[in-house]
Amino acid sequence: MKRTSFIVALGMLASFALNAQDKYFTKTGEVAFYSKASLENIEAHNRSVTCVLDTKSGNLQFAVLMKGFEFEKALMQEHFNENYVESHKYPKAEFKGQVTNLTELNFTKDGTYKAKVKGKLSLHGQTRDVETTGSITVKGGKILADATFEIALADYQIEIPNVVKDNIGKTVSITVDCDLEPLKK
Amino acid sequence: MHKKSIIISIILLAILIGGWYGYSEYNRKVKNLSSVTADFNLSGNQLLSEFEANEPSANQKYLGKIVAVSEVLRSVEVNDNGNYFLILGPENSMSSIRCSMDSTMHEEVKSLVNASVVRIKGVCTGFNSDELLGSDIILNRCVIELN
Repeated sequence: MKRTSFIVALGMLASFALNAQDKYFTKTGEVAFYSKASLENIEAHNRSVTCVLDTKSGNLQFAVLMKGFEFEKALMQEHFNENYVESHKYPKAEFKGQVTNLTELNFTKDGTYKAKVKGKLSLHGQTRDVETTGSITVKGGKILADATFEIALADYQIEIPNVVKDNIGKTVSITVDCDLEPLKK
Repeated sequence: MHKKSIIISIILLAILIGGWYGYSEYNRKVKNLSSVTADFNLSGNQLLSEFEANEPSANQKYLGKIVAVSEVLRSVEVNDNGNYFLILGPENSMSSIRCSMDSTMHEEVKSLVNASVVRIKGVCTGFNSDELLGSDIILNRCVIELN
Protein backbone atom coordinates (compact mmCIF):
# COMPACT_ATOMS: atom_id res chain seq x y z
CA MET A 1 0.00 0.00 0.00
CA LYS A 2 2.76 2.40 1.00
CA ARG A 3 4.64 1.69 -2.22
CA THR A 4 1.57 2.35 -4.43
CA SER A 5 0.79 5.61 -2.71
CA PHE A 6 4.44 6.62 -3.08
CA ILE A 7 4.33 5.85 -6.80
CA VAL A 8 1.07 7.77 -7.15
CA ALA A 9 2.63 10.73 -5.34
CA LEU A 10 5.67 10.57 -7.64
CA GLY A 11 3.36 10.41 -10.65
CA MET A 12 1.46 13.49 -9.48
CA LEU A 13 4.71 15.33 -8.86
CA ALA A 14 5.90 14.44 -12.35
CA SER A 15 2.66 15.69 -13.93
CA PHE A 16 3.01 18.97 -12.03
CA ALA A 17 6.53 19.33 -13.34
CA LEU A 18 5.34 18.74 -16.90
CA ASN A 19 2.49 21.22 -16.50
CA ALA A 20 4.78 23.87 -15.02
CA GLN A 21 5.71 25.04 -18.51
CA ASP A 22 2.24 25.50 -19.98
CA LYS A 23 1.83 29.27 -19.45
CA TYR A 24 4.19 31.86 -20.92
CA PHE A 25 4.10 35.60 -20.37
CA THR A 26 5.73 38.98 -20.78
CA LYS A 27 5.22 42.46 -19.33
CA THR A 28 7.54 44.13 -21.81
CA GLY A 29 5.87 43.12 -25.05
CA GLU A 30 5.99 45.59 -27.93
CA VAL A 31 3.08 46.75 -30.03
CA ALA A 32 3.58 49.35 -32.73
CA PHE A 33 1.11 50.86 -35.13
CA TYR A 34 1.82 52.48 -38.43
CA SER A 35 -0.43 54.55 -40.63
CA LYS A 36 0.52 55.91 -44.02
CA ALA A 37 -0.70 59.47 -44.48
CA SER A 38 -0.20 61.97 -47.26
CA LEU A 39 1.39 64.65 -45.07
CA GLU A 40 3.42 62.39 -42.85
CA ASN A 41 3.44 58.78 -41.76
CA ILE A 42 2.18 58.15 -38.25
CA GLU A 43 4.06 55.72 -36.08
CA ALA A 44 3.91 54.89 -32.37
CA HIS A 45 5.38 52.24 -30.06
CA ASN A 46 4.25 50.73 -26.78
CA ARG A 47 6.90 48.77 -24.86
CA SER A 48 4.92 47.66 -21.83
CA VAL A 49 2.42 45.29 -23.34
CA THR A 50 1.31 42.33 -21.20
CA CYS A 51 0.81 39.01 -22.93
CA VAL A 52 -0.08 35.54 -21.67
CA LEU A 53 -0.04 32.41 -23.84
CA ASP A 54 -1.36 29.11 -22.57
CA THR A 55 0.38 26.49 -24.68
CA LYS A 56 -1.98 23.75 -23.51
CA SER A 57 -5.26 25.46 -24.42
CA GLY A 58 -3.99 27.95 -27.00
CA ASN A 59 -5.49 30.85 -25.06
CA LEU A 60 -3.78 34.10 -25.99
CA GLN A 61 -4.34 37.43 -24.26
CA PHE A 62 -2.86 40.91 -24.56
CA ALA A 63 -3.39 44.06 -22.52
CA VAL A 64 -2.19 47.43 -23.84
CA LEU A 65 -2.38 50.74 -21.96
CA MET A 66 -3.25 53.37 -24.58
CA LYS A 67 -1.34 56.15 -22.82
CA GLY A 68 1.76 54.00 -23.20
CA PHE A 69 2.05 54.66 -26.95
CA GLU A 70 5.03 56.87 -27.62
CA PHE A 71 5.23 59.12 -30.68
CA GLU A 72 8.15 61.14 -31.91
CA LYS A 73 6.08 64.31 -31.99
CA ALA A 74 4.33 65.53 -28.85
CA LEU A 75 1.41 67.07 -30.75
CA MET A 76 0.62 63.77 -32.49
CA GLN A 77 0.70 61.96 -29.15
CA GLU A 78 -1.68 64.52 -27.65
CA HIS A 79 -4.12 64.30 -30.56
CA PHE A 80 -3.98 60.52 -30.46
CA ASN A 81 -4.86 60.45 -26.76
CA GLU A 82 -7.31 63.34 -26.57
CA ASN A 83 -9.17 63.10 -29.89
CA TYR A 84 -8.66 59.78 -31.62
CA VAL A 85 -8.59 56.99 -29.04
CA GLU A 86 -9.86 59.13 -26.12
CA SER A 87 -7.57 57.29 -23.71
CA HIS A 88 -9.07 59.11 -20.71
CA LYS A 89 -12.32 57.26 -21.42
CA TYR A 90 -10.85 54.00 -22.70
CA PRO A 91 -7.43 53.61 -21.07
CA LYS A 92 -6.85 50.00 -22.08
CA ALA A 93 -7.04 47.92 -25.25
CA GLU A 94 -7.32 44.15 -24.94
CA PHE A 95 -7.10 41.13 -27.17
CA LYS A 96 -8.59 37.83 -26.06
CA GLY A 97 -8.27 34.90 -28.41
CA GLN A 98 -6.87 31.56 -29.35
CA VAL A 99 -4.13 29.99 -31.38
CA THR A 100 -6.37 27.89 -33.63
CA ASN A 101 -3.77 25.55 -35.12
CA LEU A 102 -2.26 24.43 -31.82
CA THR A 103 -1.67 20.86 -33.02
CA GLU A 104 0.71 22.18 -35.70
CA LEU A 105 2.94 23.78 -33.07
CA ASN A 106 5.50 21.97 -30.94
CA PHE A 107 6.41 24.06 -27.92
CA THR A 108 9.00 21.58 -26.72
CA LYS A 109 11.06 21.70 -29.90
CA ASP A 110 13.07 24.73 -31.02
CA GLY A 111 11.87 26.08 -34.32
CA THR A 112 9.65 28.62 -36.05
CA TYR A 113 6.01 27.83 -36.65
CA LYS A 114 3.13 29.61 -38.38
CA ALA A 115 0.45 30.37 -35.84
CA LYS A 116 -3.15 31.10 -36.76
CA VAL A 117 -4.74 33.44 -34.28
CA LYS A 118 -8.38 34.37 -33.89
CA GLY A 119 -10.02 36.48 -31.22
CA LYS A 120 -11.65 39.69 -30.13
CA LEU A 121 -9.94 43.05 -30.02
CA SER A 122 -11.42 45.68 -27.70
CA LEU A 123 -10.34 49.20 -28.55
CA HIS A 124 -11.98 52.59 -27.94
CA GLY A 125 -14.97 50.90 -26.37
CA GLN A 126 -15.63 48.70 -29.42
CA THR A 127 -15.02 44.95 -29.71
CA ARG A 128 -14.39 43.33 -33.07
CA ASP A 129 -13.25 39.96 -34.37
CA VAL A 130 -9.66 39.82 -35.53
CA GLU A 131 -8.03 36.97 -37.37
CA THR A 132 -4.43 36.78 -38.51
CA THR A 133 -1.45 34.52 -39.02
CA GLY A 134 1.65 35.21 -37.02
CA SER A 135 4.81 33.34 -36.20
CA ILE A 136 5.86 31.58 -33.04
CA THR A 137 9.52 30.79 -32.53
CA VAL A 138 10.51 28.42 -29.75
CA LYS A 139 14.07 29.02 -28.68
CA GLY A 140 15.94 28.10 -25.53
CA GLY A 141 12.85 27.76 -23.35
CA LYS A 142 11.38 31.06 -24.55
CA ILE A 143 8.61 31.75 -27.02
CA LEU A 144 8.93 34.66 -29.47
CA ALA A 145 5.55 35.68 -30.85
CA ASP A 146 5.28 38.03 -33.85
CA ALA A 147 2.36 39.18 -35.93
CA THR A 148 1.27 42.02 -38.18
CA PHE A 149 -2.33 42.79 -39.03
CA GLU A 150 -4.50 45.67 -40.21
CA ILE A 151 -7.48 47.29 -38.58
CA ALA A 152 -9.95 49.78 -40.01
CA LEU A 153 -10.27 52.90 -37.83
CA ALA A 154 -14.00 53.11 -38.56
CA ASP A 155 -14.54 49.65 -37.01
CA TYR A 156 -13.49 51.06 -33.66
CA GLN A 157 -15.30 54.38 -34.10
CA ILE A 158 -12.02 56.23 -34.17
CA GLU A 159 -12.90 59.49 -35.80
CA ILE A 160 -10.45 61.53 -37.75
CA PRO A 161 -11.48 65.19 -37.87
CA ASN A 162 -12.46 66.45 -41.32
CA VAL A 163 -9.55 68.84 -41.42
CA VAL A 164 -7.02 66.01 -41.54
CA LYS A 165 -9.28 63.19 -42.80
CA ASP A 166 -7.68 62.92 -46.21
CA ASN A 167 -4.23 63.06 -44.72
CA ILE A 168 -4.60 60.09 -42.39
CA GLY A 169 -5.06 56.56 -43.70
CA LYS A 170 -8.31 54.71 -43.01
CA THR A 171 -6.51 51.56 -41.97
CA VAL A 172 -3.71 51.14 -39.51
CA SER A 173 -1.08 48.43 -39.51
CA ILE A 174 -0.38 46.87 -36.11
CA THR A 175 2.79 44.94 -35.32
CA VAL A 176 3.11 42.72 -32.27
CA ASP A 177 6.47 41.50 -30.98
CA CYS A 178 6.56 39.65 -27.66
CA ASP A 179 9.31 37.58 -26.01
CA LEU A 180 7.52 35.21 -23.65
CA GLU A 181 9.01 33.41 -20.66
CA PRO A 182 7.58 30.53 -18.66
CA LEU A 183 5.29 31.66 -15.86
CA LYS A 184 6.51 30.11 -12.63
CA LYS A 185 3.66 29.22 -10.34
CA MET B 1 1.16 105.62 -48.21
CA HIS B 2 3.26 105.39 -45.09
CA LYS B 3 0.34 104.05 -42.98
CA LYS B 4 -0.37 101.35 -45.56
CA SER B 5 3.17 99.99 -45.50
CA ILE B 6 3.13 99.85 -41.69
CA ILE B 7 -0.11 97.89 -41.74
CA ILE B 8 1.24 95.51 -44.36
CA SER B 9 4.44 95.00 -42.32
CA ILE B 10 2.41 94.21 -39.21
CA ILE B 11 0.25 91.71 -41.06
CA LEU B 12 3.33 90.09 -42.61
CA LEU B 13 4.98 89.89 -39.20
CA ALA B 14 1.86 88.31 -37.71
CA ILE B 15 1.80 85.71 -40.50
CA LEU B 16 5.51 84.99 -40.02
CA ILE B 17 5.15 84.61 -36.24
CA GLY B 18 2.03 82.48 -36.66
CA GLY B 19 3.80 80.29 -39.20
CA TRP B 20 6.87 79.90 -37.03
CA TYR B 21 4.72 79.01 -34.02
CA GLY B 22 2.71 76.49 -36.02
CA TYR B 23 5.87 74.91 -37.37
CA SER B 24 7.51 74.60 -33.97
CA GLU B 25 4.32 73.25 -32.36
CA TYR B 26 4.02 70.64 -35.09
CA ASN B 27 7.59 69.52 -34.62
CA ARG B 28 7.63 69.75 -30.82
CA LYS B 29 9.25 66.65 -29.36
CA VAL B 30 8.14 64.97 -26.19
CA LYS B 31 9.87 66.74 -23.29
CA ASN B 32 12.45 65.07 -21.08
CA LEU B 33 11.01 64.94 -17.57
CA SER B 34 14.23 65.82 -15.72
CA SER B 35 13.34 69.50 -15.85
CA VAL B 36 9.61 69.11 -15.22
CA THR B 37 8.02 69.29 -11.74
CA ALA B 38 5.93 66.31 -10.73
CA ASP B 39 2.17 66.78 -10.32
CA PHE B 40 2.16 64.27 -7.48
CA ASN B 41 4.75 63.05 -4.96
CA LEU B 42 3.98 59.90 -3.01
CA SER B 43 5.12 56.42 -2.01
CA GLY B 44 4.67 53.45 -4.31
CA ASN B 45 2.46 51.80 -1.70
CA GLN B 46 0.13 54.80 -1.55
CA LEU B 47 -0.20 54.95 -5.34
CA LEU B 48 -0.87 51.22 -5.58
CA SER B 49 -3.48 51.40 -2.79
CA GLU B 50 -5.38 54.11 -4.63
CA PHE B 51 -5.49 52.11 -7.87
CA GLU B 52 -6.37 48.87 -6.10
CA ALA B 53 -9.17 50.55 -4.15
CA ASN B 54 -10.80 52.37 -7.06
CA GLU B 55 -9.23 52.11 -10.51
CA PRO B 56 -11.59 54.51 -12.35
CA SER B 57 -11.11 57.32 -9.86
CA ALA B 58 -7.34 56.73 -9.66
CA ASN B 59 -7.23 56.84 -13.47
CA GLN B 60 -9.06 60.13 -13.44
CA LYS B 61 -6.59 61.52 -10.92
CA TYR B 62 -3.32 60.15 -12.29
CA LEU B 63 -3.61 59.15 -15.95
CA GLY B 64 -1.32 61.25 -18.08
CA LYS B 65 0.04 63.11 -15.03
CA ILE B 66 3.64 63.26 -13.88
CA VAL B 67 4.08 61.24 -10.71
CA ALA B 68 7.21 61.03 -8.51
CA VAL B 69 7.16 57.73 -6.64
CA SER B 70 9.38 56.75 -3.68
CA GLU B 71 9.66 53.02 -3.24
CA VAL B 72 11.98 50.07 -2.76
CA LEU B 73 13.72 48.98 -5.95
CA ARG B 74 12.93 45.31 -6.48
CA SER B 75 14.78 44.70 -9.73
CA VAL B 76 16.03 46.13 -13.01
CA GLU B 77 15.04 44.58 -16.34
CA VAL B 78 16.46 45.17 -19.81
CA ASN B 79 14.74 44.15 -23.02
CA ASP B 80 16.35 43.14 -26.32
CA ASN B 81 16.31 46.73 -27.57
CA GLY B 82 18.30 48.00 -24.59
CA ASN B 83 15.31 49.63 -22.87
CA TYR B 84 15.52 49.63 -19.09
CA PHE B 85 12.63 48.98 -16.70
CA LEU B 86 12.83 49.57 -12.97
CA ILE B 87 10.48 47.41 -10.94
CA LEU B 88 9.49 49.08 -7.67
CA GLY B 89 7.76 47.39 -4.78
CA PRO B 90 8.38 45.20 -1.74
CA GLU B 91 10.04 41.85 -2.44
CA ASN B 92 7.12 39.53 -1.73
CA SER B 93 4.31 41.53 -3.26
CA MET B 94 2.24 40.64 -6.32
CA SER B 95 1.92 44.36 -7.03
CA SER B 96 4.56 46.64 -8.44
CA ILE B 97 5.24 49.88 -10.21
CA ARG B 98 6.97 49.31 -13.51
CA CYS B 99 9.03 52.28 -14.67
CA SER B 100 9.98 52.41 -18.34
CA MET B 101 13.15 54.48 -18.25
CA ASP B 102 13.93 57.39 -20.53
CA SER B 103 16.78 56.55 -22.91
CA THR B 104 18.98 59.23 -21.31
CA MET B 105 18.97 57.34 -18.00
CA HIS B 106 21.03 54.30 -18.96
CA GLU B 107 24.17 55.27 -17.04
CA GLU B 108 22.26 56.31 -13.91
CA VAL B 109 20.31 53.06 -13.84
CA LYS B 110 23.52 51.04 -13.63
CA SER B 111 24.46 52.70 -10.35
CA LEU B 112 21.23 51.75 -8.57
CA VAL B 113 21.23 49.06 -5.89
CA ASN B 114 18.42 46.54 -5.49
CA ALA B 115 16.48 46.78 -2.23
CA SER B 116 17.39 50.46 -1.82
CA VAL B 117 14.70 53.16 -1.82
CA VAL B 118 14.59 55.20 -5.01
CA ARG B 119 12.47 58.10 -6.23
CA ILE B 120 11.36 57.82 -9.83
CA LYS B 121 9.43 60.42 -11.78
CA GLY B 122 7.38 59.45 -14.82
CA VAL B 123 4.08 59.77 -16.65
CA CYS B 124 1.35 57.49 -15.34
CA THR B 125 0.01 55.41 -18.22
CA GLY B 126 -2.34 53.26 -16.16
CA PHE B 127 -2.94 50.10 -14.19
CA ASN B 128 -2.90 46.47 -15.26
CA SER B 129 -4.45 44.02 -12.84
CA ASP B 130 -4.25 40.33 -13.63
CA GLU B 131 -4.95 37.24 -11.52
CA LEU B 132 -1.89 35.42 -12.79
CA LEU B 133 0.53 38.26 -13.28
CA GLY B 134 -0.28 40.53 -10.34
CA SER B 135 -1.09 44.25 -10.42
CA ASP B 136 1.19 46.83 -11.98
CA ILE B 137 1.12 50.57 -12.39
CA ILE B 138 3.12 51.57 -15.46
CA LEU B 139 5.08 54.82 -15.66
CA ASN B 140 6.73 56.01 -18.89
CA ARG B 141 9.62 58.33 -19.76
CA CYS B 142 11.00 57.82 -16.27
CA VAL B 143 13.88 59.72 -14.77
CA ILE B 144 15.62 59.16 -11.45
CA GLU B 145 15.08 61.91 -8.88
CA LEU B 146 18.08 62.47 -6.67
CA ASN B 147 17.29 63.80 -3.23
